Amino acid sequence: MTSKLKQIKDWPWLVLSPVVIFVLIGIFAPWIMQYNPAAQNYDATLQGPSWQHWFGTDYLGRDIFSRIVGGARISLVAMAIVLVAALAIGVTIGSFAGYVGGRVELVLISVIDIALALPSLVIALALIGILGTGYWSMITALTLAWWANYARMSRAVVTAELQQPYIEAARVMGASHIWIFVRHILPHVLGLVVVYASADAGALVLAIATLSFLGLGVAPPTPEWGQMLVDGMSYIEEYPRLVILPGMALTLVVVSFNLLGEAFALQKVPRPVRGGLLRKRRRARAEEEQARQAAERKAASA
Amino acid sequence: MTSQVEPLYAINDLVIDLYAATVSVRAVDGVSLHVMPGETVAIVGESGSGKTVSTLGPLGLLPEGVTVDVRGTAKAGGKDLVGMASARLSQMRGAYFGVIFQDPISALNPMLKVGPQLAEQARRFCGLSHEAARKEAVSLLARSGIPDPEDRYNRYPHEMSGGMLQRAMIALALAARPKVLIADEPTTALDATVQAQILELIRQIQRDNDIGVILITHDIGAVASVADRVVVLYAGQVAEEGSVLDVLTSPVHPYTRGLLASVPDFRAEDRVEAHEIPGLPPNQIKLEPGCRFAERCEHVEPQCRVERPPLRTIAAPGTPHRVACPVVIRREGIAVQ
Repeated sequence: MTSKLKQIKDWPWLVLSPVVIFVLIGIFAPWIMQYNPAAQNYDATLQGPSWQHWFGTDYLGRDIFSRIVGGARISLVAMAIVLVAALAIGVTIGSFAGYVGGRVELVLISVIDIALALPSLVIALALIGILGTGYWSMITALTLAWWANYARMSRAVVTAELQQPYIEAARVMGASHIWIFVRHILPHVLGLVVVYASADAGALVLAIATLSFLGLGVAPPTPEWGQMLVDGMSYIEEYPRLVILPGMALTLVVVSFNLLGEAFALQKVPRPVRGGLLRKRRRARAEEEQARQAAERKAASA
Repeated sequence: MTSQVEPLYAINDLVIDLYAATVSVRAVDGVSLHVMPGETVAIVGESGSGKTVSTLGPLGLLPEGVTVDVRGTAKAGGKDLVGMASARLSQMRGAYFGVIFQDPISALNPMLKVGPQLAEQARRFCGLSHEAARKEAVSLLARSGIPDPEDRYNRYPHEMSGGMLQRAMIALALAARPKVLIADEPTTALDATVQAQILELIRQIQRDNDIGVILITHDIGAVASVADRVVVLYAGQVAEEGSVLDVLTSPVHPYTRGLLASVPDFRAEDRVEAHEIPGLPPNQIKLEPGCRFAERCEHVEPQCRVERPPLRTIAAPGTPHRVACPVVIRREGIAVQ
């Protein structure tokens, strides 16, 4: 446990802080928002930053800070739902294909390949065309566009791990297929897929914003970053903050999710000791050596 | 030992500290050893006794992801490898030292054919042309005892057996015509029948080229069959060194004796059971005074725990026989020189 904590402490927390802030803001959004993000106030349109409105207001007099906070919640929830659903579908189909093999694998692989061949946003656009616009059709569309990657990775991991001697050993000891899969293979699959998903989360936030930007995602009164960008676009020359603020929020989250993915991936790679810690360790070692030499000199002279 | 011939590789008072994320390990604690031209030195010891780190460490071949501090000297070809710039060190590794690793299957690149891997090495370090390097590689394969070398040249590693690959590895190590060949447990991953062939091959190559060989092993049989001298390492320190005959037939250090007694002798009439040394090797994280073997030693005396036993040369004509155990030397009345 302590070693786990220590590893977490060694993470690049400064660059990852946007992820943490994003998640916290998303969870506690209703308590952080000062105003109803959808409430319009025609007495205070396009105001600059002030104590009443920290980030100012937009052309309908809506508080921008509250809208960014509310947008974080929408993005976070949508992203979490899509990721969990896509992981569940992808890992199940991919692992099944990899484990069972044969014709079943061939058929599933073809399906995965077709899904991969089409760009995910195009799939999403087509599905939204069928399902109509809206929050849930956006989530369905993104899930169906996203699962194939995880399926492909899961299958690759399962196929590779099945070749390992310890799988044979488990079989020799009479383990059932379910046991071998859940106990010996699934951890490998999740290990890789979750790392990938943590980096993917940023891309998903961006995709959600893109769909909303195109008017295909979250419907207008609900605050959403992509929508805020569209709304602000007409005022970009006079009031650039209307575009810059949600754009910055989006950029920070995407970049920092990518860094999170990298931190996950590099966590297992041992790194050389450097800097202050190394100096401390060297000093401790030198002191230990001197103590040993002193003890041995004393023994020799006695 | 003739004094006018310089050793090919001489490690002196080498200390290697490894700093990993949570621990500092004194992997090598004041080791001195050398190889003369035409000589095979076996380095024997348990896992973690510093066999590999002490010989390959000065060459910069150390595990990734740890910080390494090296003190002492490691002279090769008139130059000190400790503190040498990594580019020059890399040149030394290819040209002066050949290294054979334990697992030939993972030491050769599975994506490339075996022959070209050899030819590339010969081209880089001996300045041969493409065609000459190819000829050289085929002849190296032939000299390494690989039948039909022309055919094997175009084979991939997975098409060859472990023994064949180890022969190819030896050919690769020799491709740059090194002066020193370091064999790091070259027979551990091989069949018993192939082991003897590989050892014989190493011995023959050494005789033909008059190179120095360092054989890192825990196989006493291998030591007896090919080595001239033996260095026994324990917990990063030299316990005993001397000619194979001296060390294997009249060991002095209690650890060497225990090590030899633990080899089962199935030719013995009464089939005495193999002995074991009680306990485990000490952890090398803490530096403690005294003999590292004291905890497991049957001859232990109070002074063993406080005083580091000096390496003493005991009577031996020719190759000096040196032992780091004053207690046994005194008790058995062995003459010290």
